[in-house]
Amino acid sequence: MARVAAILKALGKAYRRDQKSLESIAGNNFFIVTALLLQSAGAFVYLIIGLVLLFPLSTDPLRKVPASRLGQWPLDRRDYWMLRALSPWVNPLSWAIAGLALWAARGKVTLGLWALVAGLFAAGFLLSDLPGISAQSLWRMVPHFPGPLNQLVRKNLREMLSTLDFYCALILSVCTLAYRLAGMPLPREAFLAVTVLVILALSSYAQCLFGLDGRGGMARYGLLPVRGWQLLAAKDAAFLLVAIPLSLPLSPPAGAGAALVALAMGHDPSVNRVRAQTRWRFSTGSSVIFGFLQAALMTMAASAIFFNSRWLVLGCAAAWAASLTWYGRRMDELLRA
Amino acid sequence: MISCRNLTRRFGDFTAVDSLTFEVAEGAICAFLGPNGAGKSTTVKMLTGLLPPSSGEIEVCGLDVKSNALELKRRIGVLPEDLGLFDDLTVEEHLLLTGDVYGVGRSETRRRTDQLLHALSLEHGRHTFAASCSHGMRKKTAFAMALLPNPRVLFLDEPFEAIDPVTSKIMRDLLQSVARRGVTVFLTSHILLVVEQIATRLIMIRKGKIVWNSPTAELPQSLEQHYFDLVEAPVVEELEWLGSRRS
Repeated sequence: MARVAAILKALGKAYRRDQKSLESIAGNNFFIVTALLLQSAGAFVYLIIGLVLLFPLSTDPLRKVPASRLGQWPLDRRDYWMLRALSPWVNPLSWAIAGLALWAARGKVTLGLWALVAGLFAAGFLLSDLPGISAQSLWRMVPHFPGPLNQLVRKNLREMLSTLDFYCALILSVCTLAYRLAGMPLPREAFLAVTVLVILALSSYAQCLFGLDGRGGMARYGLLPVRGWQLLAAKDAAFLLVAIPLSLPLSPPAGAGAALVALAMGHDPSVNRVRAQTRWRFSTGSSVIFGFLQAALMTMAASAIFFNSRWLVLGCAAAWAASLTWYGRRMDELLRA
Repeated sequence: MISCRNLTRRFGDFTAVDSLTFEVAEGAICAFLGPNGAGKSTTVKMLTGLLPPSSGEIEVCGLDVKSNALELKRRIGVLPEDLGLFDDLTVEEHLLLTGDVYGVGRSETRRRTDQLLHALSLEHGRHTFAASCSHGMRKKTAFAMALLPNPRVLFLDEPFEAIDPVTSKIMRDLLQSVARRGVTVFLTSHILLVVEQIATRLIMIRKGKIVWNSPTAELPQSLEQHYFDLVEAPVVEELEWLGSRRS
């Protein structure tokens, strides 16, 4: 029992540290802006965030122990069974589901809601244990692009698809598309509002474009015979390849304009203050004030395009190109520093 | 082919590399030896344009490293200390990226990729993402990336560590073969037996300063003994608890 307790204790510590990385949401534009400005839409927004967070929270804690290590420890069959039975309770979400079951039994929440949450949790838990089910098998399907930066753009797309920001934006976009396909009327202004929300969900990533490259990736950038602006352009291309399709069911010109402004502003923290990010978590921006500023300018650009003229996208593109040139030079300096 | 004069790099008060002056001729295999923290990787970073020196001059392929950084990158191949791989690209995609970025034609890149994967026994892992590769596979991928653009100078930081004996032999043969064709190789390593077999020039540093610089043929004794005498002698610590009956 002492051996199992020691392993569970270490597992608990590792799991708590891992869960701390979920705090990255506190520095995410979508969370900040919706928490402070859109309180009336809070329930809807938090339902989306909750759904997106449920899967990374639902992993099997025992997977934290490397299989080779688990096999080496002097544990007998009874110890293994105890570990298997007790380890799920290291995950606080297991306790939350149990608590929700008690509430459901007392009629405080509907059985359907409990079944939905418990079902999603169980699905996440079991999927995390299945061998061969990994994002990597899907990453191979990322298409090729023309030009010498093809593989860099593909890599950047894969990085972006492994952040929760993308899934938050995806849910918003798909829900709106489903709403429209169901034939339900959507007020004209709603197209702008949801477009801004979709790009807002992605905008923190624009502030940390190199956050998932790691030390090795940054070292390789320094060795490649390409200019800084090309490296930034490969990042931006991946961002736009995600942002523009997600705004297609909404207002594509406003979405493109907001995305270009998000990138133009995001170049500064991305290049000058590289902040390491964690996969399958929300991206953390550089600061709350910067996040607000970025969100405000994005909203202004999207509104101007939506209400006045779609040609204003060209102005956003010019701002983005100027930022790309400026921060591309800065990147050249930094890669040699 | 590689020339540096009074090369110095300081980090605050600490001098990592102190007034290095040496030359490496075309087609030479120069081994740059020293203990951990002696300044080997810092020197490699300066020679490859990744780190500006605090003072001193560097010329590689006849180019001043400071003012021709981009042109230099096109002419050299580098196996960096941390390998410089992207978690989200497969082994094969790393090589295709290299071909695209260095301007090697698409079909030629394919041909070289296939040959390198075969030569380095990486064919089975060509579709494996770097994040899932063993350290040996990652090192071989980074080595293949250094070779693929057919560089004039190769900078290899610890190329033989974590490599299986057969691949190590293949890599040694490859390096000797490219050196005979005029490619200059500058490598760091802790595996003295391998270095002794392939290096034509030896430079040893200790605490950032050169303590030995000569052709390998001019070594007065075995490389290992010479290294122990000049650079660092092994210290034997008796761990009396190891193997005793009390656990």
